Amino acid sequence: MIAGERSFRSVTSSEEFQTLCEFIYRRTGMSFSEGRRYYVERRIDERIRATGANSFRAYFTLLRANTDGELEQLINSLTVNETYFYREEHQFRCLSSDLLPDIVSRKPAGQPVRIWSAPCSTGEEPYSIAIWLLENWPDVDAYDIEIVASDIDTQALSRARSGCYGARSLARLSSEIIERYFEPAGPAEYRINEELRSSIYFSSINLMDPAATRTQGRFDVIFCRNMLIYFDDASRRVAAENFYDCLEPGGYICLGHTEAMSRISPLFQVRRFHDAIVYQKPEEKSDA
Amino acid sequence: MHEQRATAAVASVLVIDDASLVRLYYRQLLEEAGYKVDEALNGVEAFEKIAVQDFDLLIVDINMPKMDGLAFLTALRAQPAPAGTTPALMTSTEDRDRDFEAARNAGANFYLVKPVADELLLRHVAAMTGVRQ
Repeated sequence: MIAGERSFRSVTSSEEFQTLCEFIYRRTGMSFSEGRRYYVERRIDERIRATGANSFRAYFTLLRANTDGELEQLINSLTVNETYFYREEHQFRCLSSDLLPDIVSRKPAGQPVRIWSAPCSTGEEPYSIAIWLLENWPDVDAYDIEIVASDIDTQALSRARSGCYGARSLARLSSEIIERYFEPAGPAEYRINEELRSSIYFSSINLMDPAATRTQGRFDVIFCRNMLIYFDDASRRVAAENFYDCLEPGGYICLGHTEAMSRISPLFQVRRFHDAIVYQKPEEKSDA
Repeated sequence: MHEQRATAAVASVLVIDDASLVRLYYRQLLEEAGYKVDEALNGVEAFEKIAVQDFDLLIVDINMPKMDGLAFLTALRAQPAPAGTTPALMTSTEDRDRDFEAARNAGANFYLVKPVADELLLRHVAAMTGVRQ
């Protein structure tokens, strides 16, 4: 440790760490191994300071009682929200060149095409989807596209709603796109223009809670990138089943490039397209 | 001081469509071409906008909740000028003869089948607003 860096209040014993992890797991499905203990302890330490609890035990009591929404605060600090526009762009290319043409070919006239960014973190992903489609999908005016963006982290969500980003988030966007969809909001800061902001529906939900995810309706495409890496096998399966229920038959789910659904759940079919590997909920077989 | 120099009038277009990305797409395209663009989510909202402002062109989708494009145009054409005679470009994914017929009967001046290519839309908007491209 660098001299002068703040020291921790020797937050937890192994037993306490385990109790805490079990608690977080039961409530959110997020799983932290002993290897991430340092990371978790740092966050716990911050929360102990912020709440004025003077020991881990006092803090844990406060957390269990969820005083002042502490569970939500802790989750906010445990989730990593670093992302950027057009991240894993090849999946968006796959969306416009393969997934959507397939979906609309089966869609009855007048029905919206629904895309879910879950978790959406600070909003780069849902806005990227909208911008990508406006720029690259020639049929964009022929369908009512609904983009829903959800996250459990309410602070990330409110940043997403406000739509303000630093230059680093925008590094992969061309200057034409920045000019078209953003307005300057300060030194090296840009804000998504109002029309684009209001075209995304934001919702705060726990993706592990089937009663909550059901309220979002059925989707044609789900982007769930880099969330399942926080989960253990059992929670991943629960999340996958939840997503399965939220997909229209024939709908697709896109995961992060290090994640593979085949290792998580057998419910989905692997589909290899030119630009990406995605997972499809099988279409309902007709008896005809 | 100099008098403010007269500038050529900018044509104003009202985009009436319930799909937010469609409105955004048309807005982007038309604003970059120099038009002034306003939006309405359905026929009811369009009437509210038209009540307080004249537009040079209406781009009207057919399938919308509350008041669809055909009902909206029929009701609009029953109104006195200038609102009642505002040129209307109907856009829809419907492409059967009876859809064109229904649009004509409702008072549409022109009909384009979605998806509408950028250039095609700009050409028609220019022609219908009298703007030289």
